[in-house]
Amino acid sequence: MSKIVILGAGISGHVAAAHLRRKLDKTHEVVVVSPNSNYQWIPSNIWVGVGRMKSKEILFPLAPLYKKKGIGFKQAKVTSFFPEGDSETEKPFVMAEYVSEEKRGETEKITYDYLINATGPKLNFEATEGLNPGTNKAYSVCTYTHADHAWQGLSALIEEMKQGKEARIVIGTGHAKATCQGAAFEYILNVEQELRRQKVRDKAKITWISNEYQLGDFGMDGMLLSYGSNIMKSHEMVEMVFEDRGIEWILGSGVNKIEDGIAHYENLDGELKNIEFDFAMLIPSFSGHGFKAFDKSNQDITEKLFKGFMLVDADYTPKPYEEWTVQDWPETYQNPNYKNIFAPGIAFAPPHSISKPRKSPNGTEIFPAPPRTGMPSGITAKLVADNIIDSIKKQKESLDHKGSMGNMGAACIASAGFGMTKGSGISITTFPIVPDYKKYPDTMGRKLGKTFGEIGLAGHWLKLALHYAFIYKAKMRPFWYLIPE
Amino acid sequence: MTRRISNFKRFVMMNPIIQFFKFIFLSIKVLLIVAGGHGGTRKTGY
Ligand SMILES: Cc1cc2nc3c(=O)[nH]c(=O)nc-3n(C[C@H](O)[C@H](O)[C@H](O)COP(=O)(O)OP(=O)(O)OC[C@H]3O[C@@H](n4cnc5c(N)ncnc54)[C@H](O)[C@@H]3O)c2cc1C
Repeated sequence: MSKIVILGAGISGHVAAAHLRRKLDKTHEVVVVSPNSNYQWIPSNIWVGVGRMKSKEILFPLAPLYKKKGIGFKQAKVTSFFPEGDSETEKPFVMAEYVSEEKRGETEKITYDYLINATGPKLNFEATEGLNPGTNKAYSVCTYTHADHAWQGLSALIEEMKQGKEARIVIGTGHAKATCQGAAFEYILNVEQELRRQKVRDKAKITWISNEYQLGDFGMDGMLLSYGSNIMKSHEMVEMVFEDRGIEWILGSGVNKIEDGIAHYENLDGELKNIEFDFAMLIPSFSGHGFKAFDKSNQDITEKLFKGFMLVDADYTPKPYEEWTVQDWPETYQNPNYKNIFAPGIAFAPPHSISKPRKSPNGTEIFPAPPRTGMPSGITAKLVADNIIDSIKKQKESLDHKGSMGNMGAACIASAGFGMTKGSGISITTFPIVPDYKKYPDTMGRKLGKTFGEIGLAGHWLKLALHYAFIYKAKMRPFWYLIPE
Repeated sequence: MTRRISNFKRFVMMNPIIQFFKFIFLSIKVLLIVAGGHGGTRKTGY
């Protein structure tokens, strides 16, 4: 009889819980610990942020589903890790603090045989002075509540524009080392389309601001992709789309301070500049949650578990960009010091960025942190669950399931505007996610047939179809497991 | 605003019939890439 505790009920935590519960008999316990009572399909937040979807369409409550499926659920947030137990408790445990109304503030030691840390990122707004969603005219779409606020801000501005106001909209990254450029990219195109739909496009100047060195970097060092019968670089494709939509761009910029309607930034030339705006959506930096870990005698062993995010089977030896290889990236997401702890999705510490690191003359690092999108988050969670299932069944450690981001594809179906007949999407697939410059030396580290781009209405339909398919899957409706991660 | 997409290309991008077939094609292609598998990188010949 084993007890598997999963921290977090986002894409990776929920995928892991669902597979574990389906494949393990009920003598084994599966428990999810997460502070949010709802599951949210984060990729659709961009539509909430332009008022084309209600937040209730992208979420559902977890407790009834978990009860029905026999998955334990504690609405709590984990604060510290005791992978060896402590003087009173033999078994390893995590310390959690309840956030649910009935038990708010109560703490509990939650023991485990296997632990999956799927707590994703901390949205580190504090790292940028004045960046606080909903204040200073700056917003976020990283959660459904943020996206609701963003739409309130944007719709109020649209009303003013209808009265003749000229406005400046700035969308992009809100920190020198932010990631998730893809989400901001989708949002800027959706905002642009919404302004056209509301017939105020001519009143707005729209600017993309980003820590990317080139457009289309997306934190993945850009890519060479096939587009119809052409082969083009992702920066050429994004440039084409932005120019066509009248979107200006500022690159290589690390936003460091937000004041009311002003974003201050430093660029790669070391210049300190600012841009005024009436509405901004800026993705914050992502960081680890600052968890602490202790050994049996209560000594701090945080560095054995965390390096910001959780340490896994990656090669963390510092080395220059030219020496990075796909082999640096983890395969099993197992913590090297405590073999019963795993960290799929965004929760694991990447060995380094994917994009080339760059510094301004003032020494400020300005480049994207590595993204870990929904698909790899789901895939890595499933393989972690499969390894745990095998280990339980074989009664010895089994790590046959492997999935490095250097040998895994990703599909990024970026919405470029909502609408069944007027919508658009930019579908980009990449294989592998981390470029393998040794294996694919002539194609910028990627396999061309599997790295392609498409623009058009079909992309919007596909993104919408994925929205419904993944919510169906997350609700664990009949045959949900046939839908791939 | 600089026109970077020709009228013909735009027609292809927004025509529901052409795009319906594109949708089928894209869905299959994305599925193949996802279902196409993943693995480690540390064994020779991965
Ligand atoms: C606006 C936006 C759009 C996106 N669009 C796309 C897209 O189109 N396609 C795509 O592939 N990816 C997209 N992504 C990325 C995708 O959402 C992430 O890759 C994915 O959510 C990561 O999953 P995760 O489970 O690792 O983390 P999360 O989804 O962030 O889940 C983390 C979970 O941990 C919980 N948690 C936090 N702290 C604690 C704690 N102390 N104790 C216990 N639990 C805790 C949280 O409540 C949450 O349930 C988008 C992201 C954003 C922000």
